[in-house]
Amino acid sequence: MNPRRLFLALAAAASLNLAQPAAAQEPPVIAAASDLQFALEEIAAAFTAESGQVVTLSFGSTGNFARQIREGAPFQMFLAADESFVFDLARDGFTRDEGQLYAEGRIVIQVPEGSALAADGTLESLRLALGEGRITRFAIANPEHAPYGKRAEEALRHAGLWEPIQPFLVLGENVSQAAQFALSGNAEGGIIAYSLALAPQLESQGSYALIPAEWHQPLLQRMVLLKDAGPVAEAFYAYMSAPGARAIMDRYGFTLPQG
Amino acid sequence: MDWTALTLSLELAAWTVAILLPVSVLAGRGLALARFRGRGAVEALVMLPLVLPPTVFGFYLLLVFGRNSPVGALWQATFGHQLVFSFEGLVVASVIFNLPFAIQPAQRGFEAIPADLREAAATCGMSPLRSLWKVELPLAWPGLVTAMVLTFAHTLGEFGIVLMVGGSIPGETKTIAIAIYDRVQAFDMGAAGTMAAALVAISFSAIAVTFVLSARVGRRLA
Amino acid sequence: MTLSVALQATAPIPLDLSFQVEPGEMLALVGPSGAGKSTVLRSIAGLWRPERGRVAVAGETWLDTATGVNLPPYRRHAGVVFQSYALFPHMTAAGNVMAAMARPRRAEAARLLDLVNLHGLADRRPAELSGGQQQRVAVARALAREPRVLILDEPFSAVDRATRERLQDEILALRAHLGMPVVLVTHDLNEAQLLADRMVVIDRGRAVRFGTTAAVMADPAALRALGIRELAAMLPAVVVRHEEDGLARLDTAGGPLFLPGVEGAPGTRLRVRIMAHEVILSRARPVGLSAQNILSGVVTAVQAGEGPGVMVHLDIGGEEILARITRRAAADLGLAPGDAAHAILKAMSVARDHIARDAADRPDA
Repeated sequence: MNPRRLFLALAAAASLNLAQPAAAQEPPVIAAASDLQFALEEIAAAFTAESGQVVTLSFGSTGNFARQIREGAPFQMFLAADESFVFDLARDGFTRDEGQLYAEGRIVIQVPEGSALAADGTLESLRLALGEGRITRFAIANPEHAPYGKRAEEALRHAGLWEPIQPFLVLGENVSQAAQFALSGNAEGGIIAYSLALAPQLESQGSYALIPAEWHQPLLQRMVLLKDAGPVAEAFYAYMSAPGARAIMDRYGFTLPQG
Repeated sequence: MDWTALTLSLELAAWTVAILLPVSVLAGRGLALARFRGRGAVEALVMLPLVLPPTVFGFYLLLVFGRNSPVGALWQATFGHQLVFSFEGLVVASVIFNLPFAIQPAQRGFEAIPADLREAAATCGMSPLRSLWKVELPLAWPGLVTAMVLTFAHTLGEFGIVLMVGGSIPGETKTIAIAIYDRVQAFDMGAAGTMAAALVAISFSAIAVTFVLSARVGRRLA
Repeated sequence: MTLSVALQATAPIPLDLSFQVEPGEMLALVGPSGAGKSTVLRSIAGLWRPERGRVAVAGETWLDTATGVNLPPYRRHAGVVFQSYALFPHMTAAGNVMAAMARPRRAEAARLLDLVNLHGLADRRPAELSGGQQQRVAVARALAREPRVLILDEPFSAVDRATRERLQDEILALRAHLGMPVVLVTHDLNEAQLLADRMVVIDRGRAVRFGTTAAVMADPAALRALGIRELAAMLPAVVVRHEEDGLARLDTAGGPLFLPGVEGAPGTRLRVRIMAHEVILSRARPVGLSAQNILSGVVTAVQAGEGPGVMVHLDIGGEEILARITRRAAADLGLAPGDAAHAILKAMSVARDHIARDAADRPDA
């Protein structure tokens, strides 16, 4: 192979798709907490079907996104799983305003098929299994930067299980990854988002039970438009309050704010 | 199959190769010929990205290019957006991180040329540039192609640094490796599997090419 | 067009010598391993820079440390034939030759390949050529440079003896076409004596002796660096006829010689290398000896050395040969300059590669 020819081929391939179009023509990127993995995909599809406009979704942990936004990541809208992150960003001038509450979330205990654990929302099954040494791994999202992980920790503390379960904890980068770990077959289960457990992709893989909401701080999920938000992002932001979107959120177990 | 991510990965790899090709020739030849005291240190420096964990590398890159750094601020002022979380930022990171892949095999290719051939070229009246073009490159090109193929394949698979420096911005920095990770988290094993298989196929071809070419270097100079 | 060289260095090996080579002349650099012969060649070609030195040829100064002139090799018109040939493996023979041309011309490359007897092999790659053929390509390539000086670095050390003899003959024949100074490095004194007009004996970087080949090869002091058994003289001879028993009859100024393994039609002019230690002397013409070769001449000098031997110089019809005998023998025979004496030589003492063609118009040795 002639080296010259190879180089030209590579250069040609590279230059083919070089033009980076201006941001205005690209669909806006929406940062969303991982618990919205399935719900928001549906909502975005409905949005596109109705308005003809397209948004690009990016999922991850709330804390991680907050950090990236501070470092200048080009998101136009942010749906957090914990409103304190939104308030912090607003105070530091990264957002248009203080945003809007769009949902309240719940945590569940999720166990895969054939697990030593039962899907028991009181966590008694978990306590029993821990006592009998039948737990090898238990998954939650990382409490440091994932709100659902923080709530899982609070619930476990409330049940007095936080210390005993320490040696067996597996931390997911975000609550989606925690769900991944919980259902992978390598763990006896985990505490994940209700919205994920309700998703068709997960429903068949195991069973779940709601954990009492009083056992942890509420998951007040707040969304906000960021500094560079364009018209499409604004439209989507508005769409989140539309009946179609609300219905989808309801199906995924979210409690909706009034009005 | 996330075609945007695949295209992004291919573009990133192509740009990295295009930038590193002249670097590969000059640095590979320079190190092959040079006999200076600091040569070992330079070679070790070139090899560094190979042994550093990608996250360490990504961390330092963020420090150097992030919004709070002089480089990042300059970029922001010049182009209106951040170097991190952008495709350009990925290219910068990728070029640095691929230095050992681009330089090492090229250096070996040039080293394989016997010294007396270079001397013969000089005594035949060839200037160093002409000698490079007419004698050294035709003999060392398998090493160069190996370098470029390895760089290409390695860039396709790079995850840690791309994630840290680029985030996972679809259409901008969400490469195919990250897309696979993303699909797994979304419980979409089918898509993840397809993309993973595609990457394996590309990487395997790359390795096969380098093996064939390594054999050719030996035969050429026999 | 004279090549003048002066070199001084202390590292990596000590060097301190200077010499000149006239156009058309071949100078042989001889000496033990590590003496610095190849270093001298590399200095002339520009591949190595001495601490102090000057290299000039044909009016161009290639190196002058005093004035800071140091032309890189690609600016010096030196044709170099490397010991390893250093042919470009990815080019054909013609390609290799054209690589040295400023304006590559295929016809010229073909002409040069013909000159070195490689007609028809222009499109072969080096890997497809024998050692001797590769050597010839290397010579053609060196000549393609239109060099001011031709440099041969142990050019025949890597080929077998038969090929070497053939190549040596060809170099001699080529000399007629070469108007430039030629510098040859060799460790083979036989080769030096056969091919070169002048010699420089180098030992540990210094020129121990510089002069015509005949003079150097007769000088025991010089040859102490090379091995005393190398002392020899070249005797011109003409082929008369080839006998049926395998010997050839040659005519010399001192009488007929019968030698085996001689090639050449009657009338061919040759030079025969006669090793000093193979010569037996007698005052009277001996009879009843097995030796067939008895040359008559006159003693011109008897040189005593430090050991038990003496070197006797004999004039054979205007040519000189050397005989190394013991001092005791010289005393017994009472040899003195002016005495008539006979040199006796076994036919088997003259090795095949000690016989060379006489190049037509070589400058007088």
